[in-house]
Amino acid sequence: MPLTMVKAGEPNIIRKVGGKEETRRFLENLGFITGSTVTVVSEIGGNMIVNVKESRVAIGKDMANKIMVG
Amino acid sequence: MSITIALAGNPNSGKTTLFNALTGSNQFVGNWPGVTVEKKEGKLKGHKDVMIMDLPGIYSLSPYTLEEVVARNYLISERPDAILNIVDGTNIERNLYLSTQLMELGIPVVMAVNMMDVVEKSGDKIHIGKLSQKLGCEVVEISALKGNGVQKAAEKAIAAAGKKEGTPPVHKFAPEVEQILEAVEDKMDGTVPQEQKRFFAVKLLEKDDKIQSQMKHVPDVSEEIRQIEEEMDDDTESIITNERYAYIGAIIGECYKKHSKDKLTVSDKIDRIVTNRFLALPIFAVVMLIVYSISVTTVGTWATDWANDGVFGDGWSLFGLEIPGIPVLLESALTAVGCAAWLQGLILDGIVAGVGAVLGFVPQMLVLFIFLAFLESCGYMARIAFIMDRIFRKFGLSGKSFIPMLIGSGCGVPGIMASRTIENDRDRKMTIMTTTFIPCGAKLPIIALIAGALFGGAWWVAPSAYFVGIAAIICSGIILKKTKMFAGDPAPFVMELPAYHLPTVGNVLRSMWERGWSFIKKAGTIILLSTIFVWFTSYFGWVGGKFRMLEDMELNHSILAAIGNGVAWIFAPLGWGDWRSAVAAITGLVAKENVVGTFGILYGFAEVAEDGTEIWGTLAGSMTAAAAYSFLVFNLLCAPCFAAMGAIKREMNNVKWFWFAIGYQTLLAYAVSLCVYQLGNWMTAGVFGIGTAAAILLVIGFIYLLVRPYRESKTLDVNLKRMANAK
Repeated sequence: MPLTMVKAGEPNIIRKVGGKEETRRFLENLGFITGSTVTVVSEIGGNMIVNVKESRVAIGKDMANKIMVG
Repeated sequence: MSITIALAGNPNSGKTTLFNALTGSNQFVGNWPGVTVEKKEGKLKGHKDVMIMDLPGIYSLSPYTLEEVVARNYLISERPDAILNIVDGTNIERNLYLSTQLMELGIPVVMAVNMMDVVEKSGDKIHIGKLSQKLGCEVVEISALKGNGVQKAAEKAIAAAGKKEGTPPVHKFAPEVEQILEAVEDKMDGTVPQEQKRFFAVKLLEKDDKIQSQMKHVPDVSEEIRQIEEEMDDDTESIITNERYAYIGAIIGECYKKHSKDKLTVSDKIDRIVTNRFLALPIFAVVMLIVYSISVTTVGTWATDWANDGVFGDGWSLFGLEIPGIPVLLESALTAVGCAAWLQGLILDGIVAGVGAVLGFVPQMLVLFIFLAFLESCGYMARIAFIMDRIFRKFGLSGKSFIPMLIGSGCGVPGIMASRTIENDRDRKMTIMTTTFIPCGAKLPIIALIAGALFGGAWWVAPSAYFVGIAAIICSGIILKKTKMFAGDPAPFVMELPAYHLPTVGNVLRSMWERGWSFIKKAGTIILLSTIFVWFTSYFGWVGGKFRMLEDMELNHSILAAIGNGVAWIFAPLGWGDWRSAVAAITGLVAKENVVGTFGILYGFAEVAEDGTEIWGTLAGSMTAAAAYSFLVFNLLCAPCFAAMGAIKREMNNVKWFWFAIGYQTLLAYAVSLCVYQLGNWMTAGVFGIGTAAAILLVIGFIYLLVRPYRESKTLDVNLKRMANAK
């Protein structure tokens, strides 16, 4: 399921990162790679703050929709 | 022999704090050639021959952001003697990702693990020895904020630089990837030094075309790429990224013991409240209200009044002690030495009055910069961007654009300078171009003049001015976003949020002073020249066929008046082709509040009230309501005062962009004023002429620009590519 459906505080494993190449690379550099754990800290209107590899990253709704977790 | 040590690390890893701790006040701030990425160099404290180069904060050496391109170009072509890699100890896994790339450059690397105090406090443990062994470089524990271990890190870096040997990368990828890398390395000829082969091999595999253009001989590795992509069922870039994280994941267990499992950190707890969907906006509003009320209205106004009316005015009192202002002091001094009247005029009315008006804003700006520096370094600024992003993204601006605009309602100069906090180049340029559309404090007298003289002080005039400003920002955002220059999908919002922490007083003050000083320097150059020009043209002219210096009341004989007469026709379609209005608009370039005073002088009053009550009647007789409103709109939107233009030039850091911004503002002001006057005239007086038709066409064109579809995104712009290719 997309990251946007995840409840706050629930750790999830990233299955796939989609989207445009450039953004996907940037996310990969930030630690969003298949197999790493991601936790949602908070969410406003679809935009969310998530915890990945010990750092907090804010991502827009359009991008969060393209990160598949499970 | 002097040596250079480059400081490299992730954003928010404490790099700037470390840089300040290492160099003290021996810093040179500039920009990397051709881009607005800040470049900082400094001499290491106590070592005259050691230069520290502060590279931009980066997550990797990939070619996707300007900062990364700048940093890696420097590392590849300048080849510093050593790299001091700062690593955030609280976030070590992600930080090591960059470290593995730095090790491949063939440059000696020393790693400084920062925030060790925080790590220890949380009960976590980092085994420095193990880390050093697994990564093959010297590792030092530091706390940049407290200054612990900083000197030791620098000494290790100097020692490493002395060895002249690059740190050979110890980390290994999966056997099949290593095999391919070796094959690629073998294909390279002697033009690539042995110790750099691995870096270039990785980049070739990643299909990094910017690196390829820097190589003298580019071996064909498409076969290798095809082979590995087939074998691992992924593209090469992802394979390498995964391999790096896999290696870090494999060693991290031995090097790093986490004490608290999955407990929320303090920062997470704060974020739960501060970015909460219900509380985020109210909290943000309160913070902004505090910043605004202190830096713009209360303390700010007091500081500006003190500087403008006191230091650069008649004088001020310190505990009952009367201290005369600079003009007063200078005047008596100049009179005492028997200075020529024209020179005295130039110094007092030209330079001191002009530059003083600009410098008068410095105290207020410093107050504001303290707040900005605090919000920035404590971590809240990043959250502001997150909270406001949804709204501002709709018209092509970033969440951080809000702050410049809010501050711009006080004074455009600090407003424009506040745009520094926006990392994205496109968003920042757009913000710089649109910030001054918001009516600043100095434009309020013009609004009061027009509202009083032509509209009987109607309540709606002032709010409508703000509405015009906001509409101009929104429409400009939408229109510019669709032009070639700003084309491209707004990059999806992805941004790391630093952990909240209390900044040190020293760092806040340093950041405040850096910004303030760069403004003061500007006031000394561009603004000085412009004020001399305006002074000269307004105090010299032909009276009765003779060229001479003029008295205060003879402005209508001045060169400026002649210029006004010469250009007045330009403004005729806007309804105020009278030379006096043109001259008033020109003097408004020095400072917007001058507009009212100039009108006063031109209508024969030596001194008028701030809102120009005395000339209301005369003005109402010489202009129609539509013309007056058009005049108001033009002055609100056109190129701002010299001080703000100086700030635009400083922040754009590019002459072409500066002129584009000024040109755009003036053109927009002209077009909107034309529509206001022509359509207003048509509706109120029923006059329909060529101008009206032109106005209608303009409105149609404007609507087209607003609603036309977006261009195809071309996110990697040409400039970036040229940058990468340039040595």
